[in-house]
Amino acid sequence: MQSEMTKTRAFVFKNLIMTRRNVFTLFEILFWPLVAFLSVGLLAEFAELEPHMKAFILVGVVSMSVVQVCQLDVSYALLYDVWSKAVKHSLIAPAGLRHLLAGSLIVGIIRGGSVFLILMGASYLIFDFDFTAPGVGPLCLFLLGLFLSAAMVGLFVCILVFTFGLRAVVAAWSLVSLMLLVCGIYYPVSILPHWVMFLSELIPLTYFLEYFRRLYGFEPTFSHVLAKGSLMVMVYLILELILVKAALRRAKKTGMLLKLSE
Amino acid sequence: MKFAIEVENLRKTFASGWLRKRKKEALRGVDLAVPQGAFWCLLGPNGAGKTTFLSILSSLITPEQGKVRVLGRDIRRDGAEIARRMNLSSGHANFLWSMTVRENIEYYAMLYGLPSKLRKHRIAELLDLFDLAEFAGIRFEELSTGTKQKLSLAKSLVNDPELLLLDEPTVGLDPDVARRIRDTIQRLHREKGTSILMTTHNMREAEILSERIAFIKEGRIRAVGRPRELKRELRLGDTISISFRGDLPASFLEGMNGVYGVQQDNASCRILVDDHHERLPFILDLLTNHRITIHDLRIQESDLEDVFIAYAK
Repeated sequence: MQSEMTKTRAFVFKNLIMTRRNVFTLFEILFWPLVAFLSVGLLAEFAELEPHMKAFILVGVVSMSVVQVCQLDVSYALLYDVWSKAVKHSLIAPAGLRHLLAGSLIVGIIRGGSVFLILMGASYLIFDFDFTAPGVGPLCLFLLGLFLSAAMVGLFVCILVFTFGLRAVVAAWSLVSLMLLVCGIYYPVSILPHWVMFLSELIPLTYFLEYFRRLYGFEPTFSHVLAKGSLMVMVYLILELILVKAALRRAKKTGMLLKLSE
Repeated sequence: MKFAIEVENLRKTFASGWLRKRKKEALRGVDLAVPQGAFWCLLGPNGAGKTTFLSILSSLITPEQGKVRVLGRDIRRDGAEIARRMNLSSGHANFLWSMTVRENIEYYAMLYGLPSKLRKHRIAELLDLFDLAEFAGIRFEELSTGTKQKLSLAKSLVNDPELLLLDEPTVGLDPDVARRIRDTIQRLHREKGTSILMTTHNMREAEILSERIAFIKEGRIRAVGRPRELKRELRLGDTISISFRGDLPASFLEGMNGVYGVQQDNASCRILVDDHHERLPFILDLLTNHRITIHDLRIQESDLEDVFIAYAK
């Protein structure tokens, strides 16, 4: 048990040090989320949106930043090794993918949580919008949904990197942007064409956003949003854990792990 | 006898390309058995399959066919246990660029599940063993090549491995740093009895460090033995060149054991023997019996480089 915790702590240790020492990771926490938040928030002010419409937009933009930062940490647990060409050293050690996921998700929650706290404070001070208005319990459930969605995206990036190598690294930044289009970050999914809405229905983030927005008075497009989102994210995470193991097995077969270390 | 590495008929083919698959046979039936506690060297030209072989032993690549047992365990079934008991260090060391020497060692020690107390003790021990204490707080990206290589070796010992795989551990290093690293590896093998399999392109290093050499070419083990045995097998031998005065019969060495050939003229001869240490006293006796006066005598030993070239041809 102690050994399991130590191996998990290894990934926490690595991600925290790399975050502390690299300027781009600080930009991910402070610069980009604030820029996105302020530009969208000010646009909402300029458009003189109703308070509930402003709530809709701000919940979207903050969620987007939290998911992006948190999923990057899960991806980084592998990508730091890929960039430093040290993949083989990590993968010959007796630590498993479960340690990688748990350790990196802990740092992801710390970083994503920091982004949320900063933007929550900024929302309150600049746009007079209170994220705690629906209550602490629902807020925690919403955040948990965001973090699990982020873990899902991060694991998917790992699957792509094990399968396609360095070519897939770009997925770490582009996947969330794709989700932005179909999950209704800036608009309700009900306005999307039918076939895109079908895609929205397959992504848990759609339901977590609807759950939280409902607490600000927006009628959700779908029913049982919290249950559906939670169930879906758990099923996807289990499926991804199976898939990431299969991708790792395939990478060992094709020699991709060696290529990632050269 | 217990074996650290037991490999039978190991085959690995890599395929590349999506539509039109291109296949490359990296290993074509490797057989090798390295006893526990031994220090062996794997030599071979570029592309011979050395790295693929080490990667299979360290579970980075899965074999396609054949039996692979590491430390008495099957690599396919007991990968996790093998991973705990072995480690790998490679030349051109690469580690997390922003982490210091100490942090890098600590990170890998954690990956091997070492508890906090043991971890601290092991880190101090390794920093001391590789003279890394003064660099402990320096980031990997700021280290010299030699120090990076020392870190790579230090990392490979975090779990006190029973089997150590060294992939060109002194490549690109200054001679003095390379020598210090060789000394440390040798000491480690002598004092702890760690089984070591090393690849290198430095023939002198292989000759100094290893007990036996395995020569791999085009995915097959071509020869295994001590350097002297390999020289004998290839009939490379040593050349004894003698300048003399006197009448020496052309057939004076005929039938003598260990003589591969003689080139002789009026005042000199070149004798190719399997081992000059063994044959020279007899040759000198013969020359004395024939009342030959020796003006000059030179010995040219063939070395492992000659063996390498002969096998690589």
